[in-house]
Amino acid sequence: MGIFREKDGITRRQFFKGAGMIAVTAVLAGVFAKFGIDVFAASDDYISERIAGLYTLDEKMAIRRSHKNPEILQLYKDFLSPGEVKPLSEKAHHLLHTKYGQDIPGLITELQKHQHEAA
Amino acid sequence: MSEIKGKVLKHDSQTRIMHWIHLISFLLLGLTGIAFYWDIGIIYKIFGGPANASLVHRWTAVVFTAGPAIYILLNFERFSKFIDTISSFTKDDFNWLKTMGGYVPFLKGDIPPQDKYNAGQKMLGWLVILGCILFILTGFPMWIWRHEVPAVFLNICYTIHFWDAIIMILAVAGHFFLAAIHPKSRVEFSSMMIDGYVDAEFSAHHNEKWFNKLQQSQ
Amino acid sequence: MSTLQTRGVIHVTDNCKACDHCTFICPTGAISGRLGQKHHIDQDICVNCGQCLINCPFGAIEDTSMVAKVKEALADPEKFVVVQEAPAIRVALGEEFGLAPGTNVKNKMYAALRQLGFDKVYDTEFAADLTIMEEGTELIHRVYNALGAEGFEHAGPLPQFTSCCPAWVKYAEDKYPHVLPHISSAKSPQQMFGAVAKTYAAEQLNIDPANMVVVSVMPCTAKKYECNRPEFVASGYKDVDLVLTTRELAQLIKEKNIDFLNLPDEKADKFIGLSTGAATIFGATGGVMEAALRTAYEILSEETLDKVEFEAVRGIEPVREATVEIPVKALGKKLPVNVCVVSGLKYVDDVIEDVLAGRSKYHFIEVMNCPGGCINGGGQPIRRDTY
Repeated sequence: MGIFREKDGITRRQFFKGAGMIAVTAVLAGVFAKFGIDVFAASDDYISERIAGLYTLDEKMAIRRSHKNPEILQLYKDFLSPGEVKPLSEKAHHLLHTKYGQDIPGLITELQKHQHEAA
Repeated sequence: MSEIKGKVLKHDSQTRIMHWIHLISFLLLGLTGIAFYWDIGIIYKIFGGPANASLVHRWTAVVFTAGPAIYILLNFERFSKFIDTISSFTKDDFNWLKTMGGYVPFLKGDIPPQDKYNAGQKMLGWLVILGCILFILTGFPMWIWRHEVPAVFLNICYTIHFWDAIIMILAVAGHFFLAAIHPKSRVEFSSMMIDGYVDAEFSAHHNEKWFNKLQQSQ
Repeated sequence: MSTLQTRGVIHVTDNCKACDHCTFICPTGAISGRLGQKHHIDQDICVNCGQCLINCPFGAIEDTSMVAKVKEALADPEKFVVVQEAPAIRVALGEEFGLAPGTNVKNKMYAALRQLGFDKVYDTEFAADLTIMEEGTELIHRVYNALGAEGFEHAGPLPQFTSCCPAWVKYAEDKYPHVLPHISSAKSPQQMFGAVAKTYAAEQLNIDPANMVVVSVMPCTAKKYECNRPEFVASGYKDVDLVLTTRELAQLIKEKNIDFLNLPDEKADKFIGLSTGAATIFGATGGVMEAALRTAYEILSEETLDKVEFEAVRGIEPVREATVEIPVKALGKKLPVNVCVVSGLKYVDDVIEDVLAGRSKYHFIEVMNCPGGCINGGGQPIRRDTY
């Protein structure tokens, strides 16, 4: 009745296979990390591309300044500040400006009053 | 064959400890992981809620990673031999696969002599190694870099982690069936789970090539 | 307390995988939940920006949809439905139809909207120009007030913050009420458009504003919240009735089987549809600033700029600053204007602390919630690029 067991010590071939496996694991980890870094680098490219799209569009526009927009000028002349182009007119204040935070309830009351007067 | 008496030391104590550690952590990880994917309240309750189950999952994962890593560092020779064995595929291995080692009832034919591990075990070995590498590579970013990595990378990690888990759970279930339940091979159960020994006669039959080498060196 | 009506737009669905990615994305810390635990949004803190939505790896975060109401309005012959589209839509909508990010589909977008049945197709860019007129003039008044000129005592303090971004406005209301006097009183372009559409345009078109439905297409989920704020009823009606996101517009186009890529190039309708390049760049971080500088420079100096580009305020860094020397004709001297551009609410706290402590050297500060500006808003097509 004997006990059989493996000998100690390994052959060159076995050593290289063991070391190779560890190396392969390290390489796999590296490849995966590289993949992650590439994804990270490319993940918000679309932001710059969309921004570039807007700037290109801006360059192509015939009018590039807000105060030169003829329809805007028309709106002021016909409606917001009759006869002239004057921002922050009373009507502009009423339609185009607002209030924030605690001033909102007061603003709503004001708007309701304005409506009553109009009616 | 029946003349062969004695015992063969198949797995030494450190290997067995590592196997136990890996087994228990795998069960914990699998259980919690299944709970996460299918939102199973009963499993959450065992661990005290989903957040705690997640903590268990993560720290068990550290054990799951560190166990084999430390084992390989301490037992580099044994690890190298193991890699050598499972990476040597000969004609006998392919022929074994053709008949599935006689485990499938309707596949008949001669079963060629096998090394320390038969062709099926070799393939399981590769599956476990690759599966674990994938678990580790996808799992830790999901934990440590979850805030930094882009959404798409996190999604890829979760997807790989999930399918890896499905394959591994099935593979381990098959492994458990053959090693602990199947009457032809369950005699090997004690060699990994208890004392490390198998009957020499069993080895001579199932792992003829390996046993012959052991005999020669004796 | 701040906004009276904190009806949340953004919700985490049951598909949450508890990956915890969003808690870091959220600029206000409104998302709670540990790793492994389904996450939850605190609607009082949430600014409805939708950054978590576009950055969720599993698409498990959703915004409230007004698509059904838009369809209802379009199908109702009684209703006169007008539509406005934000600048950022035109360079991103194409992505839903396979085009590269940044491809300009402005003219096809007008055509698609007409085919969807909108009675008039206008453009938010018109309102952006209007915003520049009002907000720019307000800034000039604040500067004159700070210089001690007479007649400008009613103007607010410097620096002036922009008010276009509803997420930023809610953030300031919730967290820094003392900074509110610094925020321009000008409404956001979306709300200006609604107010003008239901008064001026309704008058021009001879339409009863009660029957008018203003729909806006926005790159933004916070705009859905903004249009429901109770104070935006200056026209006598709800100024902006319904808001669609870029994604929802694409969905409508697809549902109607419109061959988007082969649509003819069309133009916006007149009265309140004409836009300028200054309004186009509103969609990018620094754009409002650049547009304001173009107008402020020319009005104050009474000269014409040879080069309208202010490269110094462009870029994608979260905080950028620049100084622009404006020769003010009325004063007969050069006025250095210090400006600051913030994109990403996470970075605004330091700037605000400086302003509140009186340390800030800036005159005008643009704040946009989303990194990169509106083009990366919570309503934009979701990108899952690897490389």
